[in-house]
Amino acid sequence: MLKINDLQVSVEGNKILKGLNLEVKPGEVHAIMGPNGSGKSTLASVLAGKEDYEVEGGEAIFNGKDLLDMEPDERAGEGLFLAFQYPVEIPGVSMVNFMRTSLNAVREYRGQEPLKAGEFLKLMKEKKSIVELDDKLTKRAVNEGFSGGEKKRNEIFQMAMLEPTLSILDETDSGLDIDALRIVANAVNKLRNENNSFLVITHYQRLLDYIVPDFVHVLYKGKIVKSGGKELALELEEKGYDWIKADVAV
Amino acid sequence: MTNQTLTTNKSQKEKFLNPFTQLGKNGKGMELDIRAKAIEALKDHEIPTRKWEAWKYTDLKTIANRDYQFSGESSLDQITSFQIPDLEADQLVFINGVYQDQFSSLTYNQNLVTISPISELQGEDKSIFETHLGSLINGEEDIFSALNTAYAQEGVFIRVKRGKNAVKPIHIIHISQASEQPLATQFRNLFLIEENSSVEVIESQHSVGEGVSFSNSVTEILVRKNAGVEYVKLQLESDQASQINSTVVYQEDDSRASVFTITMSGETVRNNLRMRLDGQNIESHLMGINLLSGSQHVDHHTEVHHLKPHCFSNELYKGIMSEMSTGVFNGKIHVYPDAQKTNAFQSNRNILLSDTANIYTKPQLEIYADDVKCSHGATTGRLDEEAMFYLRARGIKEYDARIMLIYAFAMEVVDNISIEPVRNFISSLIQNRF
Repeated sequence: MLKINDLQVSVEGNKILKGLNLEVKPGEVHAIMGPNGSGKSTLASVLAGKEDYEVEGGEAIFNGKDLLDMEPDERAGEGLFLAFQYPVEIPGVSMVNFMRTSLNAVREYRGQEPLKAGEFLKLMKEKKSIVELDDKLTKRAVNEGFSGGEKKRNEIFQMAMLEPTLSILDETDSGLDIDALRIVANAVNKLRNENNSFLVITHYQRLLDYIVPDFVHVLYKGKIVKSGGKELALELEEKGYDWIKADVAV
Repeated sequence: MTNQTLTTNKSQKEKFLNPFTQLGKNGKGMELDIRAKAIEALKDHEIPTRKWEAWKYTDLKTIANRDYQFSGESSLDQITSFQIPDLEADQLVFINGVYQDQFSSLTYNQNLVTISPISELQGEDKSIFETHLGSLINGEEDIFSALNTAYAQEGVFIRVKRGKNAVKPIHIIHISQASEQPLATQFRNLFLIEENSSVEVIESQHSVGEGVSFSNSVTEILVRKNAGVEYVKLQLESDQASQINSTVVYQEDDSRASVFTITMSGETVRNNLRMRLDGQNIESHLMGINLLSGSQHVDHHTEVHHLKPHCFSNELYKGIMSEMSTGVFNGKIHVYPDAQKTNAFQSNRNILLSDTANIYTKPQLEIYADDVKCSHGATTGRLDEEAMFYLRARGIKEYDARIMLIYAFAMEVVDNISIEPVRNFISSLIQNRF
């Protein structure tokens, strides 16, 4: 599904990713952990197509296509979804209008007919219930006046609407209380199947109690320095990152 | 200044004024008592130059150097494309400043309201009009107000009678169809909103063809006690159309006034808007949108005068400038010593869509009372890159995402218009602009 080879990325002249390799197959959940500043969010942003990130080397192949050569909207059409760490408030753009424009753009890209108004509203209702998103919120402008937890739930709601094949969750757990965390994790688990994959970027092991990964990778200084199964997350929780840093130093 | 430039300025002024003066001599101007004074005032006024603080960013040379004619000639056989869909209104149509009875439709109840082109006023309405005309703008202000007061061709008089409401909104439609020679029009409105009454007025300006035109218009609005007015100006002329537009609103106790100025084109446009809040518990809204492209130049000068206590004014102007267009915003809030407990807010927000677009913005607060709440702010920036990326990451194409954000930005102003068909019309204009 996604194959990243020797990815090297810099931001404003600072090299952040220094030869990252990662392969995600259909149906797999990969967790990417690592200390602050290791390049976790850069990886998420560069995969989604944010500007200001300069790819200096390597490649990312998504379903056989060169991901890094695509516009952000094309990547979404291809089935990539980024759940933002800091979802943006967009005053004046209503949630309903935004979601309908987004869904129909993605459907058009995938060669599907736009949804009729009735079908769309029915789908919204169904997907809202998965993340327990309040009706009040979908009547507002995008993310405007949403609490931190509501914003994160809104991201997962959009993910459910767009049915991506690869979802990148960029620190979706940050700023969530335990109830919201459980709602978000349950929603992800409901959407999980053998055809779609998840890249869960997180600082803490906590989220991985609920979204159980197949693989855990440690990103440090722009490279994946250690990979393992879900037990690696527990080890990191217990021992911190220092032992990894020490390993790398040697 | 040397003698040489003085002579040049003088001859330029005479050349500019000449066609207007001729029109007056031909007896086509309105017969008004205040005309003589305005003609006298014209002698003292000069054409503003960019050396004048109030005209620092707007150059009138091109406007002032043209040889204008006044012409009622028009080939139009229908005006439906200038109507607002679904708007049921009393409608007055003017082509090149001349009233078009065949395109107008007035069905108002005379017990409630008078709506009339000035050329057709008679009896009591005419004398009320003449009594009030010039009470807010009389020609002492500047050359353009003097020129208008002296030689205005036509205008609309609206009088909403005490305790009554105009049942339907009133739509004034102006169409300019210039031939090879530049066209000038001078329009003069007076709206008298008597005690406990209210009215909604839409005034839209359109062009047919690509001829050059200039309009110099003045609107006086008197809002008596506990009366209300909503006035929407839609400036939708061609890139060859310039105008100077001066509006003064005078408000008494407990009155409400909203003035919207929506400008979507124009070669050189100057809008002067002054609100005088001369009573208590007054509410005033001044809102505008500049949606500009090409080399359009639009200059908004607004003044809000808080003369008495316990009033509220809110001003919001938004600009979206692309290509080589220029927006100017100069907004002054003046709180007089008596005007305690004033709440006055002003905001000017701009988006520049290109490196060659310009905005000059200058908020001014002059506060002479101590117990007031006033704020002003101006922002200028690009489209929010973070929001753009968010929309695009959800599959929305760059072009569509831009429109979505621009539309949302502009609608914050449009949403305050109370007449739904007008709101819908403007929102479709904004969407179809791109």
